[in-house]
Amino acid sequence: MYIKSSILFFLYIEINLILLSNGERTKDQMYEHFDGRMSCFRRLNATHQIGCSSKRDGSTGIIHYVEEQEDLNFILKTGSAGDYIPIIPTVLLKPETIKSLKNSGKISGIVIYNDNTKIPKHYSHELKCPNPRSNIEKTCDVPWNKHGTGILHDDVPFPIYYVNNEEDLKKIKDCFQKFNNFSYETQYTRSLCSIELDAFMHATTDTPTCIRRSNSKTNLNPVKFCDPLGGENVWASLFPIENVTAKNDAVHANNKKYIILATHLDTTSMVHAAYPGAVNPITGIVTLLATADLLKRMVKEEVQYGDNILFMLFSGETYDYIGSQRMVYDMEKDEFPMKIDPDIKNPLPLIHLDDISIFVELDQLSKNKQLFANPTDSSNNSRMKNFMQKLQNYSKSFATFMYGSQLPPSSLQSFVKGNSNLSGLVLANYRSNYLNNYYNSIYDNYTNVDYQYYNTTEDNTSEIPFDSIQYYTANISEMLARSLYEEVINKRYEGDEKPRLELIDELYNCYLLNPDCKVHQAIQRKKLGETPYNSYSFYVGVTVVPNLLTYAIGLTLGWLTGDIVATNKTCIGDPHIPVYQYFNMSRSLDNLNTTECFRTTMNFTEALSPAFILPDYNWKSNKYSSWSESTWKDLTVRMFLKPSAAHERFTIAIGSVTFIMSLILVYFVKSRSHILFVTPENCSPTSC
Amino acid sequence: MDLTKMTNDRKLYLCRWYFRAGFALLPFLWAVNSIWFFNEAFRKPEYDEQKQIKKYVIFSGIGTIIWTVIIVTWVVIFQVNRAHWGEFADDISFIIPLGTP
Repeated sequence: MYIKSSILFFLYIEINLILLSNGERTKDQMYEHFDGRMSCFRRLNATHQIGCSSKRDGSTGIIHYVEEQEDLNFILKTGSAGDYIPIIPTVLLKPETIKSLKNSGKISGIVIYNDNTKIPKHYSHELKCPNPRSNIEKTCDVPWNKHGTGILHDDVPFPIYYVNNEEDLKKIKDCFQKFNNFSYETQYTRSLCSIELDAFMHATTDTPTCIRRSNSKTNLNPVKFCDPLGGENVWASLFPIENVTAKNDAVHANNKKYIILATHLDTTSMVHAAYPGAVNPITGIVTLLATADLLKRMVKEEVQYGDNILFMLFSGETYDYIGSQRMVYDMEKDEFPMKIDPDIKNPLPLIHLDDISIFVELDQLSKNKQLFANPTDSSNNSRMKNFMQKLQNYSKSFATFMYGSQLPPSSLQSFVKGNSNLSGLVLANYRSNYLNNYYNSIYDNYTNVDYQYYNTTEDNTSEIPFDSIQYYTANISEMLARSLYEEVINKRYEGDEKPRLELIDELYNCYLLNPDCKVHQAIQRKKLGETPYNSYSFYVGVTVVPNLLTYAIGLTLGWLTGDIVATNKTCIGDPHIPVYQYFNMSRSLDNLNTTECFRTTMNFTEALSPAFILPDYNWKSNKYSSWSESTWKDLTVRMFLKPSAAHERFTIAIGSVTFIMSLILVYFVKSRSHILFVTPENCSPTSC
Repeated sequence: MDLTKMTNDRKLYLCRWYFRAGFALLPFLWAVNSIWFFNEAFRKPEYDEQKQIKKYVIFSGIGTIIWTVIIVTWVVIFQVNRAHWGEFADDISFIIPLGTP
């Protein structure tokens, strides 16, 4: 009985101990971890490295919360307790600030935060003229992005982290108030709230160096230092490209001409995982998709047509036109739409640069009363004038259509470089300065295009006001679709197809607010909202990580320009008829649960700069984009209380003294061992 | 091997061969030789073979110093110029450090 009750008693104690005990490790009690993904990282081109890197084991600094420029000046002047990491509002991230922080020698990193009361009027860290190395001559005489600071292209010697979470920011601020924000003269005598930013970049110097080192054969521990930027281009044709049966025909195309309607797929910003891209590129993408959708419905009954239309979306245009340069390269190398493969019975005819009759590019198209067509130098022909006249006629109801004077930085630049006789234009809401004050930045979000989601159905779009971005995009796509219709069918459109406002509303919702929107459900790309951050974004990313957003946009284009076919039961394409790709997708936006087999002309081509394919490419030639992204192990941020210098010295002194004392002790024990440990005399180890 | 349990001519034999083998670009053998036989050469009571051992120890020591100078000079030259030499430096490296030019 006694034993039984004592066992029960011990059990009770044990269970209580287990339940009440705190299993948190000391390490975790010391540190407050933040999501460190939104850090600035390093990119490289043929000659430079840009972006940021921390020290190898992270850069640590004492937190100094800054609200005004004076706060920053104060700490640069009076800070006495070692390296600092100022927590600055986005407004203060300016070239002057970076320069003064660099020169002060007191700063080991920066944390930026968004102050809702002080949204900057302009915020663009892109260059004044994007892609200066890859534009045709004189393009950069105009400061297109006139507020651009160019910090994106600076080599910053310390890490930059963007805290975009109110809760985390409050923790940082509270810790600063409690431990740091008083008697600055004596800061060095006490424990201070500190933050460690770890964003150590593996690659340095430039792309040729890091590619060479990644492929080094003598390296005993092969490491990949960098990956080329790139992804996939998306393209589709309005009418199926006609198969050719004889092999020769494939090489000498059947004199078919093509009008290209193009835009780009990517943006960038100072920090990783924050690429909203509302004006650039989302307005262009949505306008293109809406135009494709309308055109497809307009030409439904048509059999006879002149030129075909190709819809193209290029990846990596922010980084020296990776996608369009590759497209031009493919066309020049007889590899577009696909390489000639003797095994394919019905190959697609090759499309070359001189098969392009008109190139229409959609750039930033947020709301503006004026719409500009910026034509290429060789657009002074009657067909082009005629086409622009059509655009002008169809724009009268909503915008003043005007001609720009010069070709802005755009994908069209790559095509003009390939064929200087190309007729084409860039359609945008600016003439020589971007209207977008937040070009390629974290503020280019849904408020920048004045977007609001209305969640309408096909029959009820009356809620959407006339001055909304949805209407504006619909008007542009109608203008484009009617003009293009006339261009390819050679008559005025008399039908009553209209742009679908609910589709435009939904597309903006997909790209700006909710990745799990109806369109993505319709194309059977579900749970995109849960994908890892680096594989779903408007940043081009690296070729080794597929960008799911590019695939989603491609499938959306396929869905909008495809036909429902009942004959193909399995919905699988025939490899011998490469013109068609088949996908099971929802019937319509209002009928997501009924899936049909769609036959589409949509396809992907690789968007990797030719610089990384050509075996003996001369990096100095600057002919192709050479951008690569450094690899890194971790992007982490943690906050902790750093003991004062005196405390740290005391700790190490105690440790050292203990160590030396123990050595002395061991020496004495060993030298007196014959006294301390009695051993039997004359005893050899074997006989004991 | 325990030198105390070895005969003197055996010690001489060992010391001589360590010295000779060092010529095969093995400076560490000379370093080991000069340290290992230091007591035998200089701190033990005289015996017949000691003079020769002393000779080998001294020569091994000189060889070690020359090698050390050569290696240290090379390491300094290489580390200072690694970034500047570019491709050549990478080709002769077995380990390329992360995040350094």
